[in-house]
Amino acid sequence: MLSTLLSQIINGLVLGSLIGLIALGYTMVYGIVQLINFAHGEIFMVGAYGGLAMFSYLLPTALKNQWYFALPILLIAGAAVSVLVAVAMERLAYRPLRGAPRLAPLITALGVSVALQEAVRVFYPNATAALPFPNIFVPGTLIIPFGDGIPIRYSAMLLVVVSLALAFALNSFVERSRMGRAMRATAQDPDVARLMGVDPDRVIVLTFALGGALAGVGGILYGGLYNTVNIDMGFQNGIFAFTAAVLGGIGSIRGAIVGGLAIGLVKALGGQYLPGGTAYDYVWIFVVLIVVLVFRPQGFFGETERVRA
Amino acid sequence: MTTIEAPPSAIVTPPRSRLDALWAALAPRATMLRALAGVLTIIGTYLPWATFVLNDGPYPEKSTLNFFVDPFGVTGYRLHLLVIGIAMIVVALVKLPAAGRIIRGLGWGTVAVSVINILYLTIAGGGLGTITASDGSVAFGAIVALLGGLLAVVGGTAGGLGTKPELTWKLAWWVEWLILLVVFAIVLFLVAGVLTSGGQGGVVNPYAGPVFLLVLGALGGAISALSASGLLTWVSAVSERHRLFSVVVLLVVALLLPLTSAGTEYWMTVAANIGVYAATAIGLNIVVGLAGLLDLGYVAFLGIGAFVAANLSGAAASEIGIELPFPLVMIISAVVAGMFGAIVGSPTLRVRGDYLAIVTLAFGEIFVRSAQNNIGGLTGGANAIPNIPAVSAFGQSFAAPLTIGAVKLPSGVLYYVLIVLLVAAVMLIFANLKNSRLGRAWIAIREDEDAARAMGIRTGPVKILAFMIGATLAGLAGAFFAHKTGVAAYDSFQFIQSVTLLASVILGGMGTIPGAVLGASILFVLPEKLREFTDYRLLIFGLALVVIMRFRPQGLIPDAHRRAELAPDADDVTPVVDVKK
Repeated sequence: MLSTLLSQIINGLVLGSLIGLIALGYTMVYGIVQLINFAHGEIFMVGAYGGLAMFSYLLPTALKNQWYFALPILLIAGAAVSVLVAVAMERLAYRPLRGAPRLAPLITALGVSVALQEAVRVFYPNATAALPFPNIFVPGTLIIPFGDGIPIRYSAMLLVVVSLALAFALNSFVERSRMGRAMRATAQDPDVARLMGVDPDRVIVLTFALGGALAGVGGILYGGLYNTVNIDMGFQNGIFAFTAAVLGGIGSIRGAIVGGLAIGLVKALGGQYLPGGTAYDYVWIFVVLIVVLVFRPQGFFGETERVRA
Repeated sequence: MTTIEAPPSAIVTPPRSRLDALWAALAPRATMLRALAGVLTIIGTYLPWATFVLNDGPYPEKSTLNFFVDPFGVTGYRLHLLVIGIAMIVVALVKLPAAGRIIRGLGWGTVAVSVINILYLTIAGGGLGTITASDGSVAFGAIVALLGGLLAVVGGTAGGLGTKPELTWKLAWWVEWLILLVVFAIVLFLVAGVLTSGGQGGVVNPYAGPVFLLVLGALGGAISALSASGLLTWVSAVSERHRLFSVVVLLVVALLLPLTSAGTEYWMTVAANIGVYAATAIGLNIVVGLAGLLDLGYVAFLGIGAFVAANLSGAAASEIGIELPFPLVMIISAVVAGMFGAIVGSPTLRVRGDYLAIVTLAFGEIFVRSAQNNIGGLTGGANAIPNIPAVSAFGQSFAAPLTIGAVKLPSGVLYYVLIVLLVAAVMLIFANLKNSRLGRAWIAIREDEDAARAMGIRTGPVKILAFMIGATLAGLAGAFFAHKTGVAAYDSFQFIQSVTLLASVILGGMGTIPGAVLGASILFVLPEKLREFTDYRLLIFGLALVVIMRFRPQGLIPDAHRRAELAPDADDVTPVVDVKK
């Protein structure tokens, strides 16, 4: 009983740190250009497929079983593919719409999302069905001797550690570095930032690239954890991540991680204990999303609601 | 964009960009370029287009609107190109206002036709060899026509686009009625022709997709040329003068569709499905187009209507198992959907803009998930609710063929008639709402919510009403949909359908009735026609959304107000004052 609860909490935290990692991309982009980058979930998905392609077609067979070679290579490949797609998306789809009426970029984002998902489905070999993803880390499961035993997979631990480390790194980048300061300045007031010598276009591209890199890494970690990838994973997890970003307070890095963990817990515990079981666990997340947006749109760590036209 | 007026000596503004400099340099030769474009197009028409016969039989010959039978030795898209080419030459040589604009429109049409052909022939035929040369035979037709089209665009722009003339002819009322009758008759035949062009898609006719696209391309060119000549604006002004007459004739014309070439069971079904989505899109247009509230879960209301109807119509799979008469079922479905609309709309009291879009998306997802899990035994889950009985009246089942005197009509006609009436009713509701106090309140909220509130509009109830009314209309359509298809299944109501509906409202033009209908027609006919491209359908759809937002965010038939706000370059804007009088 208690061990079920604990293992569900652990499941929730693992999923939550993944969602938090994706949420960082949402929160940064929204903080700077006030755009719900709907396609961000697909960036995550594209990263997973990029890593899978690297593993299946490029990686020498000798290295495939040595995770300390394969893992960094896959992470870099996934991140690279995601960054590429994210930057291309910003340049081709979003930049021309800067200053357009507010519905236009959101609809563009929907279009990009559908197009990316379909592009992978059509052009990636056999992507119409879910594809197996290699185990990229120490295989097996650690069993914590408590009650009936609480299993934790090593790849789940990897996911949590990498996610939190990346979030921490991102936080220090934004807080400490010169470019980070430029990002914060642009988020506060793009016009004044420009007067102070910040190039908003560069900041925006950097934001998309950073978000893309995190999502790409997330995609690889997701594949490694669940050993399967499919083209819907971006949409689902993207929505969860968006919920997490809002829940934590959009624009806040800390908030994205905390929000992600909360969403992960809602899914795991809701699926276990709420009526309807796992068939309805998605529903609970959406309910949380609605409740948060309606009653506390500024989230946990957000500033008081900005009035937007 | 800088417009350089016709006499090249009188350059109004100095060239601003390299492109403008090019136009200025080409301006003296514009007439020659335009005529040459026409000649090239005609030459391209008569050249061979493919070097071999495709596996599925001779390709171009099938490309024909079936009421033109081979008048000049060419059929299908070649006939269209021939007509376009002749038109180019005539317009180039005859002095017309806005000649440049007309030629540019025709040019884009030609470009569309040749590009579609090039793409299809090279993909289906396997490589560029198909359109250039192989086996000693030469097939440069597509390339020559493409050059002709591009030249027309260049020549049209270079010689000055000219301003779209405002025709103010007023004729005797009966002449205008006659003109309207002729115009609507042409529209009827065009609709029938376009709908059936290429035939039924899929295995039956592998060329249905490209042929349909070719017809659309040629028609698009022709329409943009007509619109540039000012004739379309004039006709719509005339029909505005005889509003009631136009509405009645249009309704009759729509009801006559079963008597044209589209009068087979298959096309009636397609037309009825278009009608369902058109009605739903008009409902969505209230929420998005008028009130400016982005709804990403709208198809849920269509689904709610369908499931309510499925449960109340005596379907064996329904756990409720009562059977009510169809009109009552429709009303109940609409009311229930409307109630859900109010629920989904209630967050608008606190949430705005993008956040509201996400809230509606969440509601849509909750609906799909719940329906998938057969919530309360009401939706059948993965098994859906099949075998919903067909509507019947006076002993005549709507799913059966109909015989009136000597006229035999295919099955599905009655459903078609019903949906036409339904769409007409929905249009009427929309048009009246738009011009009502409530409609103006919605538009005010769309433009600036704070200002609207300051003007004394109670924004909360007004916004919820938008959701409620929109959902009610979708619920009506849903009840019809359930009976027409006989099945209510959760996977007809997923996120992608919501996006498609939204896209059809945007593609057509937000806030207008013809826009929503046109958008819904295009987006729901295309998949029927492009069966063999099913794989690429959504990919193209996603890219198309991006491109539309980039180049024509105001849609194909923009609303006068929105046109002023959203138009990317000022020269397409008709001043709002003129339109409103």
